[in-house]
Amino acid sequence: MEWDWNFVWQIMPTLIQGVKITILATLLGSLLAAAFGLAIALLRRSPNRAVSRTTAFVAEFIRGTPLLVQLYVIFYVLPDIGILLPPLLAGVIGLGLHYGTYTAEVYRAGIDNVPRGQWEAAKACNLTERQTWIRVILPQALPPMIPALANYFIAMFKETPLLSAITVLELMNQAKSVANSSYRYIEPITMVGAFFLAISLVSVVALRWLEHRYGRIER
Amino acid sequence: MRKFAIAAGGAALALAAALAVSLPSTAQDNPKLEQLKAQGFARVAIANEPPFTAVAADGKVSGAAPDVAREIFKRLGVPEIVASISEYGAMIPGLQAGRHDVVTAGLFMKPERCAAVAYSEPVLCDAEAMLVKKGNPKGFKSYADVARDPSATIGAPGGGTEEKLALDAGVPRDRVIVVPDGQSGLKMVQDGRIDAYSLPVLSINDLMMKANDPNLEVIAPVQGAPVYCDGAAFKKGDEALRDAFNVELAKMKESGDFAKIIEPYGFSAAAAMSTSMEKLCAPAQ
Repeated sequence: MEWDWNFVWQIMPTLIQGVKITILATLLGSLLAAAFGLAIALLRRSPNRAVSRTTAFVAEFIRGTPLLVQLYVIFYVLPDIGILLPPLLAGVIGLGLHYGTYTAEVYRAGIDNVPRGQWEAAKACNLTERQTWIRVILPQALPPMIPALANYFIAMFKETPLLSAITVLELMNQAKSVANSSYRYIEPITMVGAFFLAISLVSVVALRWLEHRYGRIER
Repeated sequence: MRKFAIAAGGAALALAAALAVSLPSTAQDNPKLEQLKAQGFARVAIANEPPFTAVAADGKVSGAAPDVAREIFKRLGVPEIVASISEYGAMIPGLQAGRHDVVTAGLFMKPERCAAVAYSEPVLCDAEAMLVKKGNPKGFKSYADVARDPSATIGAPGGGTEEKLALDAGVPRDRVIVVPDGQSGLKMVQDGRIDAYSLPVLSINDLMMKANDPNLEVIAPVQGAPVYCDGAAFKKGDEALRDAFNVELAKMKESGDFAKIIEPYGFSAAAAMSTSMEKLCAPAQ
């Protein structure tokens, strides 16, 4: 086995196409996971038993089943009931829902960390429930969660190769199709690893900065 | 499944090693065959694409290509084959990496594959086909027709002959969808995700029969795509094993045993016997 730099440069444009899709899927998936997770966290705290129990069940159900299985269901099974999603959208929804259940736990911890006194003070000031959440609780709960959330988004980034199972032409799939026609795995797969490592390392630096900026709770 | 095969393989290997110590080694001219005999099985790569290769619900490996290989290895003194399912594109690298001893999967002979592996004489021959919606709404007759329609998409197995034929005909990469297996391809045509799904004729017919869906139609053969034949693919350097395989294959072709194995699957023995590895591996004119 020898390393062929010419071959690397030759396949680079194809791989970069894949990197773009991988990053796009991660960004969209992160947005969805952030929103979906917050929704779960809030609904689980609903005073209405039926709402909170149902949400808890759905979240546990999604969290307890493999992402790959969920992707297959979204992509191959939903069309049977008339929901036909393009591959990338199906992948983003899969990632978003799956990681949304993880981020919901982060939100829960962040919200629980807001001291009781803040709730009581909000009540004493006669704020409505909506005002309490938007003006008092969330502004204090969200910043300390940012590093933990970002951590999950990096994890999600590294799971995007699963999308190749539903025909999304992301980095892994591009590398596989290169290997399929050249019978060489060493360069494409090494480059996939290198791309993931490079992007993860940059993300880790950004994560450190986020921790530094938001990690401390100021009261 | 694969784990089990590995575990079984490991156990058999240990057993074979124990046996090998007690048995004096015989012929030195074909060390690879001796090694397979000693371990008692040959590892083959298959694809689970009936009727070429198939894995039944109980895990039993069948299909025309492994059946022929099993019989030939039996005659060579290797009692069993252990199959692992692989993508077409991964078979040749897997062979080179020593993950399997031979590929028996309907991996059609093409000059660039012939350059990478040592093929046996032809085993299974078939033309290409496409699966489309009833009435062939986009009017495909060839891969070039898919290329001409800027909105048409075609599905094919990753690293399979059909993927390359479509790309060679000028279909851009983003309209050739890599489909993981036949069932997914069928589903994607039914759901309208892809306009056509291309596989060899017999594989498409097998899918159609199982799906039993009146809203689908088969176009066969695809115009402009030649009839291809596969062979058992060995690692370069295992030519001695390949030659031994060829001798038994030729005997079986002559005695009619070959036809008896492959014809129930729908393959034509005459087609495989009318051509040779040398002809099929010759670069295209």
